[in-house]
Amino acid sequence: MKKLGALIAVLVLAAVGLASCGGGSDTTSGGSGGGQKGGTLDGTYASFPDYLDPALSYTAEGWTAMADVYIPLLTYKHANGEEGSEVVPGLAKELPKISNGGKTYTLFLRPGLKYSDGTPVKASDFPFAVERMIKLNSGGSPFYLTIEGAEKFAETKKGPIPGIKANDKTGEIVINLEGPRGTFTNELGLMFVAPLPQDTPIEDLSANPPPGTGPYMITKSQPGKGWEYERNPYWAKANGKAMPEYPEGSIDSAKMTVIRNPETQVDDIEQGTYQWMQNPPPASRYQEVKEKFEGTQFRVEPTISTYNFWMNTQEAPFNDLKVRQAVNYAVDAKALERIYAGQIAATQQILPPGMPGYEQFELYPHDLGKAEELMKEANPSDMDITVWTDTESPNNEAGEYFNEVLKELGFNTTLKLINADNYFTVIGNLSTPNLDAGWSDWFQDYPHPNDFFQPLLAGESIQSTNNNNFAQYDNPAANKKMVELAEEQLGPEQEEAYAALDKEIMEEAPWAPYGTRTLSTFVSDEVDLESVIFNPTFGHYLTSFEFK
Amino acid sequence: MTRFIVRRLVGMITVLFAVSAIVFVVFMVLPKQNPAQTLAGKNATPVLVKNIEEEWGFDESLPQQYLTMMKKVFTGELIQYSPRLPVLDLIVEKIPATFSLTIGAALIWLFFGLLLGYLSAIRAGGWLDRILTGVSIAGISIPVFLLAPVLIYVFANKLEVLPNGQYVPFEEDPVEWLKHLILPWITLAVLSIGFYSRVLRSNMLDVMNEDYVRTARAKGLNERQVMTRHVLRNSLIPVITLFGLDFGATIAGTAIITEAIFDIDGVGNYAANAVAKFELPPIMGVALYGAFFVVLLNTIVDVVYAYLDPRVRLGESAS
Amino acid sequence: MSTEPSAERGPWSLALRRFLRNRLAVAALGVFLAIIVFVLAAPLWADHVAHTGPNEEHTVEQITVGGEKKDVVTVEGKPIGPQWFGAGGKFFLGADSRLGRDEMVRLMYGGRTSLLIGISAALLATILAIVLGLLAGYFRGWVDSIIARTLDTIWSLPVFLIGLSFGIALAVGGLDLGFVEVSGGSLWIPILIISIFTVPYIARPIRGEVLAFSEKEFVEAAIAQGASPGRVMFTEILPNLASTVIVFFTLMIANSMLFEAGLSFLGAGVQPPNSSWGTMITTGVELLRIQPLLAILPGTMIMLTVLALNIVGDALRDALDPRGKARMDAALQFEAQSGATRPVGEASFS
Repeated sequence: MKKLGALIAVLVLAAVGLASCGGGSDTTSGGSGGGQKGGTLDGTYASFPDYLDPALSYTAEGWTAMADVYIPLLTYKHANGEEGSEVVPGLAKELPKISNGGKTYTLFLRPGLKYSDGTPVKASDFPFAVERMIKLNSGGSPFYLTIEGAEKFAETKKGPIPGIKANDKTGEIVINLEGPRGTFTNELGLMFVAPLPQDTPIEDLSANPPPGTGPYMITKSQPGKGWEYERNPYWAKANGKAMPEYPEGSIDSAKMTVIRNPETQVDDIEQGTYQWMQNPPPASRYQEVKEKFEGTQFRVEPTISTYNFWMNTQEAPFNDLKVRQAVNYAVDAKALERIYAGQIAATQQILPPGMPGYEQFELYPHDLGKAEELMKEANPSDMDITVWTDTESPNNEAGEYFNEVLKELGFNTTLKLINADNYFTVIGNLSTPNLDAGWSDWFQDYPHPNDFFQPLLAGESIQSTNNNNFAQYDNPAANKKMVELAEEQLGPEQEEAYAALDKEIMEEAPWAPYGTRTLSTFVSDEVDLESVIFNPTFGHYLTSFEFK
Repeated sequence: MTRFIVRRLVGMITVLFAVSAIVFVVFMVLPKQNPAQTLAGKNATPVLVKNIEEEWGFDESLPQQYLTMMKKVFTGELIQYSPRLPVLDLIVEKIPATFSLTIGAALIWLFFGLLLGYLSAIRAGGWLDRILTGVSIAGISIPVFLLAPVLIYVFANKLEVLPNGQYVPFEEDPVEWLKHLILPWITLAVLSIGFYSRVLRSNMLDVMNEDYVRTARAKGLNERQVMTRHVLRNSLIPVITLFGLDFGATIAGTAIITEAIFDIDGVGNYAANAVAKFELPPIMGVALYGAFFVVLLNTIVDVVYAYLDPRVRLGESAS
Repeated sequence: MSTEPSAERGPWSLALRRFLRNRLAVAALGVFLAIIVFVLAAPLWADHVAHTGPNEEHTVEQITVGGEKKDVVTVEGKPIGPQWFGAGGKFFLGADSRLGRDEMVRLMYGGRTSLLIGISAALLATILAIVLGLLAGYFRGWVDSIIARTLDTIWSLPVFLIGLSFGIALAVGGLDLGFVEVSGGSLWIPILIISIFTVPYIARPIRGEVLAFSEKEFVEAAIAQGASPGRVMFTEILPNLASTVIVFFTLMIANSMLFEAGLSFLGAGVQPPNSSWGTMITTGVELLRIQPLLAILPGTMIMLTVLALNIVGDALRDALDPRGKARMDAALQFEAQSGATRPVGEASFS
């Protein structure tokens, strides 16, 4: 009896002891038991990035995955919202000196930088990276074709590109452009032209990403399934000291897994199986997650994007201004708000809030009566139209909604749904018949208004394939303004001019814009929500994740 | 026999070529889309598109592209669009997941199907038979993509006893491998259990009425001996052959919906994603892989059946 | 099996009596007919009770229930639940999605599409199979070789993968064969795809039966009398296939409906704004947590229909040919059976 009592006592004490030193929440593979630094972040993406190669990737997933791994000469401030739109020096010492009427950019590489495999970073690595990107036929190459000789290089693939001169001894890099380009500073901050060691193979390295200069490096890549990060040993040794303003990151490593079902991703975060999901919760779970976790594990993030319905201004019936204005009056922002389960903030302009140059106005408040009046006045002869949208929810529902709106206005519609991966290719190919009206969205490449106006609404941008000017809008006055403004560096004057341009174009209503999209940050209860930074261009920064 | 096998091999090669041609036509000819445009991204210039066409050979004539693609298939050089990885490697990587799913489910459905069918047949007409028949027919009628989400909701979300999807390789963790496969196995098996139990039942009932069975009973064999020695053995032949056909079809990666819903990284899921994107190389790879297995198993089934039933082997006129 | 009508009880009326004695089958037939009535009544319900069409959206509207105004779709995107007759029959089963359409009306119209596709595909496949089976079984030789090889090839294709591919490829651009043009959203596309892949299942056993029958005396007699091949095939042999055909046709309707649902789930079948029970299950599954009924209702409808058809098909087989199989050559029996008992390769598209 006594022995049994003693045994029980020991067991009870042991149990109490174990319970009390557990401390903090149960960690799966998480932090070092309640501390702040270190730990492994387990995250999920709904799809594998298009490429895990900085020269090739042109999707949000890819850019988020590689943001803190490959640092270009310039980069964006690690901050939320508008602050994150500021271009700051990256591997370069300072912002470029722009001379020669906006055609020459001079930068200096910081000394002492190393890649994650120990190779020192040289100035000539930059022209190498540019050439590699063009040789790979990257989707990003058009941004850099104003560099002198770059176009010829794109055709012949025979370098070097005369417009880039690099001096490895002094670290000086001089870039000469064919003509002034106001957006070039922003474009130098994109990963397409992040320097790489000159022995990097000229092929898609998604399965085995090249060494980078950032605080983290990708150590393992299984395309389709996931990838892993570890700390870049040369960050602490060299780069971190050379770039003190760049954050070094709290976590030690990270593991990303592809889970194709967004519902599953949400469940996993709620249950703590995973700690972060890159994409927002699906519309069917959005409100539930928002209500339960806002402020503690969930945060709404604004983006710089415009969701809109475009109309082909070159052919009947949408070549008639009154018809287009009628459509703008008929589209009801309230309906779209519901369709996106609250993830859309209504707007009826080209430029979205958050974009420099944005000034709010509302030309076409919802008024079905006015819309019908305008339709009667216009009385278009051709009432048979085809409406296009993609299959990804809730865009497909937005498209169906638009279809119904047009039907209510009296049109005879045919709705066509195209898979999201091919949608823009199909509607961007002008030989596709019946491109009358449809859905579209546009997320900024970088925070400069020209990134919206030029590809989407400039007359010269209309091309027979890979067109982005779906409205086929060609207004010579607007075209001229766009070209002028693009050559100047962005300042308050230019921002005002862009705001005016926004209004002028909307008076012609080539689109019926309806909203700007919010994305979100959703983390498990082990992660400190406050520390996470969501950059409008690059998404969530790996260096900003911290465990509680 | 050898002539039979040789003919079948020739047939297999013909089918594989037919499949490759059909897939090629469906994805290259019908859509009137240029894959180079999709690859070039949203900012593309005509020069970029042209370069990509040259790089991938999209500017060649269609028959030429077909031949080039077939050559690449044989040399294992077939590459998918993004990321640019060899299709063969990816398929090989995903085979364990598909095999785990389909073989496991197949064994389950064969076992339970036969069990239920046997029980139904020996108690034919009784209440057990009616219940089992009802269950069987119900099982055949449920759409997979309704059953699976409901199972996930009940077992993974509400009760939290099973994971909600993905595949864990056996080498990594055998227990997790099993846990992750239980719901997908059940989903796939439910459909076929019903079917097989009814096939066995109807075969057994037919055989039980045959003369030679009655003779066996008359000779004094007890019921169990009659059942196993004569009835079961003869009724199983068609069932096994059917199983071979079905198994071939399933392993060919066509459990697409199940793989998609449970996010199992198998061959079927790979193909489904590629179809949605109109990406030809993976589809070609999976289609050929699939056709190969279907034809292989069909051939095995025919050989086995010919071996078991001399009437078929000798009576060439019947085929 | 002779088709000479006997004096009192022809084989057809015998079969009918056997069928009617199977009470489960009669009930199942009743259920199937009830479903047909249900979907045919769609316009009546839409016009007189729900006062809305299947594609009309009411996203921002409100309805009055018991004096209170309720959102059809809340701002957070939740569709309203079943109202039964609370709003006079509007939104009887609630709203279908964030687009605020009437679920009951869509269920009825969706059923029309599902049944239309199922029955048409089965009909088309059966007709093709009869023609091919007759030609192959009667002429034999190289005609048979070609037809059998083609059927084998289709049979060997990874059915669902190819069907999916066709569906998606054609959904956009439609089909333009020069002499006939079919638009991408047309229901003919899923119908054609499903029938093509269903033909081998029916054609093989029919071919087997034709092979057997063409050796019978009454056929030889007809040929000796100078009847043309067409006459022999259609007047002498075809009537004997009737029972096989009827059974297959019934089972193939069920199969085609499931095939269509699977295709629609993956985006390769029915295209919006058309809807079928398959597309409704797809949108319903997305909202499974918020409103499980939206997936369960169409799912149950498909299940019931398929279940009923399977029971009826089984019973028809028992009624028409209870012991006939035992008399046929074992090899042909297997041929016939391998099609007849297979609810068309569920495993092929799971």
